[in-house]
Amino acid sequence: MGKFAPWVGYLIALLGLPQLFDSVLAITIFNQMAIAIVFALSYNMLLGQGGMLSFGHAVYFGLGGFMAVHALIMIEFETVYFSITLIPLVGGLIGLIAAIFVGSFSTHKAGTVFAMISLGIGELVAASSLIFVSFFGGEAGVSADRTFGPPFFGIEFFQDVEIYYLSAGWVFASTVFMYLFTQTPAGRMANAVRENPERAEFIGYSARRVRFISFCSSGFFAGVAGGLFALNYEFITEENLNAVTSGRVLLMAYIGGLGYFIGPIIGAVVLTLMNSLLSNYTELWMLYLGIMFVLTVLFLPRGFAGFIMMHQTAWLRGRLSSLVLPYLITGIPAIMFGGSILAAIEMLHHGGESFRFLFVTLDSGNALHWFALTSVGAASHFACRRSLGQLTSAWEEANQSEDTTERGPS
Amino acid sequence: MLEVFVFSTLNGLVTGLLLFMLASGLTLIFSMMGVLNFAHASFYMLGAYFAYSVSLKLGFWAGLFFAPLLVGTLGALVERYALRRVHAYGHVAELVFTFGLAFLIEEAVQFFWGADTKNYRSPDLLDFPLFVLFGQEFSAYRGFMITISVGIFLVLFYVLTRSRIGIIIQAAITHPHTVANLGHNVPLIFMAVFGVGTALAGVAGVIAGPVLTTFPGMAVVLGSIVFVIVVIGGLGSLGGAFVASLMIGLLQSYAIASNLGMPDLLNLLGLDFSRDHPLNDLWTLTLPQIAPVLPFLLLVLVLIFRPTGLAGKREE
Amino acid sequence: MSILSLHNVSKSFGKTEIIRGVNLDIQAGERHAIIGPNGAGKSTLFHLISGKYQPSSGRITFRDQEIQNHPPYEIARLGLARSFQVTNIFPRLSVFENVRCGMLWKQGLGYSFRHLLGRQTELNARAMHLLEEISLSDRADFPAGELAYAQQRALELGVAIASGADLIMLDEPVAGMSLSEAEAAVSLIRKITEGKTLVMVEHDMNIVFDVADRISVLVYGEIIASDSPQAIRANPKVQEAYLGEAILTDAGGDDA
Repeated sequence: MGKFAPWVGYLIALLGLPQLFDSVLAITIFNQMAIAIVFALSYNMLLGQGGMLSFGHAVYFGLGGFMAVHALIMIEFETVYFSITLIPLVGGLIGLIAAIFVGSFSTHKAGTVFAMISLGIGELVAASSLIFVSFFGGEAGVSADRTFGPPFFGIEFFQDVEIYYLSAGWVFASTVFMYLFTQTPAGRMANAVRENPERAEFIGYSARRVRFISFCSSGFFAGVAGGLFALNYEFITEENLNAVTSGRVLLMAYIGGLGYFIGPIIGAVVLTLMNSLLSNYTELWMLYLGIMFVLTVLFLPRGFAGFIMMHQTAWLRGRLSSLVLPYLITGIPAIMFGGSILAAIEMLHHGGESFRFLFVTLDSGNALHWFALTSVGAASHFACRRSLGQLTSAWEEANQSEDTTERGPS
Repeated sequence: MLEVFVFSTLNGLVTGLLLFMLASGLTLIFSMMGVLNFAHASFYMLGAYFAYSVSLKLGFWAGLFFAPLLVGTLGALVERYALRRVHAYGHVAELVFTFGLAFLIEEAVQFFWGADTKNYRSPDLLDFPLFVLFGQEFSAYRGFMITISVGIFLVLFYVLTRSRIGIIIQAAITHPHTVANLGHNVPLIFMAVFGVGTALAGVAGVIAGPVLTTFPGMAVVLGSIVFVIVVIGGLGSLGGAFVASLMIGLLQSYAIASNLGMPDLLNLLGLDFSRDHPLNDLWTLTLPQIAPVLPFLLLVLVLIFRPTGLAGKREE
Repeated sequence: MSILSLHNVSKSFGKTEIIRGVNLDIQAGERHAIIGPNGAGKSTLFHLISGKYQPSSGRITFRDQEIQNHPPYEIARLGLARSFQVTNIFPRLSVFENVRCGMLWKQGLGYSFRHLLGRQTELNARAMHLLEEISLSDRADFPAGELAYAQQRALELGVAIASGADLIMLDEPVAGMSLSEAEAAVSLIRKITEGKTLVMVEHDMNIVFDVADRISVLVYGEIIASDSPQAIRANPKVQEAYLGEAILTDAGGDDA
């Protein structure tokens, strides 16, 4: 069954990753990825599929997370008794309840009004969380211990890798359910309302109700992600429901590609990797993230996934191979040009001291280094410009249809 | 009590007028181009940083002159080479772009100037108390801030109501499509409005920097508040933005100055709760504590009950 | 039996009264055209009936049920479907999805998130069948926004009739089409409204007199006549309103 192949691959990837990379750092990163994937997918339910731009999605993530930590505390003190494997569900339910409440008045309109309400609610909740110290723990947040629950088939979750496998299960299930949602009448009408709320009303659907359903589902899965966060870190702070977290999920979903189901997964993986790996190499990784985000919005409006999908036509026509060489001819200088810009930024940043950049040692006090860098940058820029025309024509040729009367979707 | 009131009013006025300088530019940009510029407060921050750098070499007054010019030019370039491109992808993309720009500017500021607070100071010339009331000093610099803000408001008002370009802009606020059809909506006006709007934010940054401290987080502190003002005032209404700016400025100032809180209310009602009550945080709330929340509460309420804002005519 | 009736319906925007006390009865099964000069309020009347606007006063009944204060989606669920003068489809959804969305409510799927669309074999077959009827089956997987203009108009119709509504309201269905495209559209309209009630606004008098069983003339927000095509053509008031538009007297003579 070809239909299930991507899902089997996804499951294998989720379960196989810790076998390939089993260092402590790798497991930490995989856990972060798991959380990010669910969170970004839930955000895409809103923005990508429902057309609702939210600046406060962390509210549902954070509230779910806080309640999940409190649930862990309750398990520890034996107020309640259930397996911690169900903690994400606690987060999800809290996310759902919060979304039902907020959605009841915020889904009336999409567009700017919705975006502003989400911003206002986000700021309100974040500010309130610092006021209500007994629940949110103030600046320090609240923490718990996940190992007190009843063992799950003998597993007590002392190790991060055990939590990873638990998370992987939740991630897989959440992904499947969120995908299935897109295939239901409610999910499809969410697309329709995004495209044209007026027409949707004239074919029998209340645009508000359709948005409300998407909003609540999205809140639920954001809460699940919050629950996974609580399980993994065993603590949560105000930062997890404020604008920073809301912004980060927007970045992930957008960079990955809003229009595609797989987009946010790509975005979550890429951003998590940048977050954990790049930050080891440079203090400036946030600056690079900002640059990458702005460039993506400018030049890849449909994100990384959109960029990949651009090649669908050429692939279907069996002409993808004709693009490889032009891509290399333009791509290598382009990468070198980007690299020299990065090197220049790093040299400015390191002002005076020498440092390792990729395979060379650079010193901003050395004029020769600056000269070499400028030459490489200029030469690669020139080569890039020169070969761009070739790439464009190769691209057009690869996408040209055999039958000139029939124009495929561009 | 009276002295608290007077000083709160004066401080609220200063904040409100400052907020208006940001809100006016944001409103102009929104009216013309239909885009809420998330990065607006970032241009304000750039104004402060540029002015700081200039002031190190040439003094405060040179900074007041050059920094807004720099910021405005940068704004115009952003409009010309980025926003115009994103415009084709639709409203969401525009909003997301300005959001990304705000993020990028904050990081860039840290890259060029560092993460620490800059010692950007008001000029010595204005370093004296303008007057002393109830034993408290009101600094000349604050008076200067009020003067500049009011001056800009008057100039803006004059330009918008008396000049030809102002009338075109005004027309664009209420009838954007008609103006476009008349052939006025040339990209140059867009660029100019964006440039002027960001330059205004720059001015606000220059004069606010010394008082509200110049640090990489200063855009975030004001950013969402300005949004709140523009929405509460009614998207696209300058008058509404003016009223809302003063309202928010005064509201916050009064809330911070007052010592009132839930305990007073409970005393008044003759109620008493034990300290161990789980909702203790709620019973001990004070106005200064919730002061930062008030604008957002107002924002949400306005959006729910009157999405066009106080004076807005146009939705979306 | 009248399926749709308007009693003294008025609509004002500010001080301007666009619709002034319209009374209209549409019989089940008839093809009714509303004509009138530009700015007479034809589209406003459509918006009032379909729930986009609410009348300032008066009553609108559809199948003996008052609908004047109902939102559009409730009116649509009762079996009243409409198309738009300016193409109003879901541009980034595929042509097939556009039509299928139009069918969902009547299929009883509502806001369900428990049914998978892929498994609705019968629904999908009906959607494909409808696409064949409107000659768009070879474009089923195209994004609707990329269709040619006439094809988008056909899809506009398709979305409107997808629900299988009994009363179909078409707002200038052939506006902007070439002659041959318009001819094809008219035969399509005939075919798909077989056995249903049709109310349409149209400027092309040839088409109006060709298709309609009854015609109402709306001038400055008032119905000045509502009668059979022959009677309308002979009506002096109508001729006065259409003074200078000779088309009214010529039309109908060259029935295709």
